Amino acid sequence: MVDQIKVALAQMSCKVGDKAHNMRTMATYIMEAKKQKADVILFPELSVTGYVTKDRTYELAETIPGPSTKKIEKLAEENHIHVIHGMIEKNAKAKGVVHNTAVLTSPDGVIGCYRKMYLPTHSIFEEKRYFRQGYETPVFDTAIGKIGIIICYDIFFPETARLLRLKGAELIACISASPSVRRNYFEILTAARALENTAYVAYVNLVGIEDGLQFWGGSRIIAPNGRIIAQAKYDEEDLILGTIDYTDIPRTQTFVPALRDLRPELFNELGDLSKKL
Amino acid sequence: MLLTPSILKIDQEETKQRITGFIKDYVAKTKTKGIVLGMSGGVDSSTNAALAALSIGGNKVHGLLMFEKETRNKLDIDHALQVAKQFKIRAVFIDITNLLNAIYKSIPDFIESDFKAKGNIKARARMLLLYYYANSKNLIVSASSDKSETMIGYYTKHGDMAADIAPQQDLYKTQVRQLAKHISVPDAIIEKPSTPALWPDQTAEQEIGMPYEKLDLILYGLEHFMETPQIAEQLLVPIKMVESIKKHWLETEHKRRIPLSPKLGFRTVGRDFRLPYDAEVE
Repeated sequence: MVDQIKVALAQMSCKVGDKAHNMRTMATYIMEAKKQKADVILFPELSVTGYVTKDRTYELAETIPGPSTKKIEKLAEENHIHVIHGMIEKNAKAKGVVHNTAVLTSPDGVIGCYRKMYLPTHSIFEEKRYFRQGYETPVFDTAIGKIGIIICYDIFFPETARLLRLKGAELIACISASPSVRRNYFEILTAARALENTAYVAYVNLVGIEDGLQFWGGSRIIAPNGRIIAQAKYDEEDLILGTIDYTDIPRTQTFVPALRDLRPELFNELGDLSKKL
Repeated sequence: MLLTPSILKIDQEETKQRITGFIKDYVAKTKTKGIVLGMSGGVDSSTNAALAALSIGGNKVHGLLMFEKETRNKLDIDHALQVAKQFKIRAVFIDITNLLNAIYKSIPDFIESDFKAKGNIKARARMLLLYYYANSKNLIVSASSDKSETMIGYYTKHGDMAADIAPQQDLYKTQVRQLAKHISVPDAIIEKPSTPALWPDQTAEQEIGMPYEKLDLILYGLEHFMETPQIAEQLLVPIKMVESIKKHWLETEHKRRIPLSPKLGFRTVGRDFRLPYDAEVE
């Protein structure tokens, strides 16, 4: 278990539906991140395809393992780096079923996946029209720490990050495709998730315009005390790096003892009331 | 929610950046050489032209001044030319009077007194010329419609809204005025009454029956799912006035959509056949 790691956030723009182009962009970022001695690099939600894929979602989906994860595995191995990226996953058992998935890859290959649990289907979002929601919140015990992943809208539900934290995650990676009109929400929520869980949060967002929808970027790494360690530009491509120090977590927990003060009996009540809403 | 004028206040610089970024991106993605748009001398078209010039440079913006005998107004022409000069836009003056007369004469059942049907021909003739320039010079057409007029359907179907992009369509008229001021569109243009120029002495506020300041707040309320009595109460206007605006909004949806068709196939265009705008095919 390492004490410190260097995290890179690749705030990229995508060409919708052009996987080869997007993969080339990702390869460039991986190589640059490695040059800057990053241990892990994060890419935005659905970074392989772009976010607004609409009916093309099905043709762009791939199984895991599949062509895209194989390319990422090769890049991770060659550059000796961990990679978290987003893609449309084709369900191996039911091929007409697709998921909005994040994949964690180590230099030794794919470690695991996270399927987005909360699929926004309101305003301009239509994810439930296409994707099947995920049901699992895995925490990956890796050479670079205990990592949990959430995707974009999941961050509105504190229980996902809390669940990851209680399973031992010390770094919560949130990959996102958040449009400009929601910037304020994400700036608040990313800090809140870090602080209330006394965990590191690495948030990486898309940039560029897809279907008239502008993504704002603003990727950031936040410390367990809410401090912003690194902050990317708004509205343009960027690569930022920040060092996270896991040994700071216990210290912060004495000052922000949110986990010590958890009240389990409230969770039961929350469950009951949620059903009755 | 309180419907006060401050609710319509926009972050002017942020809005300018969003719109100019959008225009620049779209022109690049479509690999076109620039933009063609109509310039009437009014606040919407002047702002549209200015934004296009700020995005891609005035030399790539073709502004067509398509005036005609019945509604020609020297002040509007001067204003359009002033904006073209200020933003270094390529102004093209086209007198469409002969074109319109030729169309009127070609229609066996043409009724001179049907000012609405006749007026709509003017908007559609302008569209025809804009698309001639778009096709022949590899340009995209930019519409100047605002959210107020789009919501109540105050435009000509297949006329002034026939375009490839509508950069300020999500801004109410009063918000377009704020943005216009921010990007230095002359005050005289911002402050004069709006007109679609379909017939002589036509003004938008007179036809709509209220000032845009009031209309925009009603529409803002409707946009945010407020009930009509609640809007009327807050704005101290008769409920019938709010209901009439709501009626215009609901009844003109046909103008904002592609033609309706019965659902027959597996995926139907305009309904459940959803493709991304700017998809790249590998």
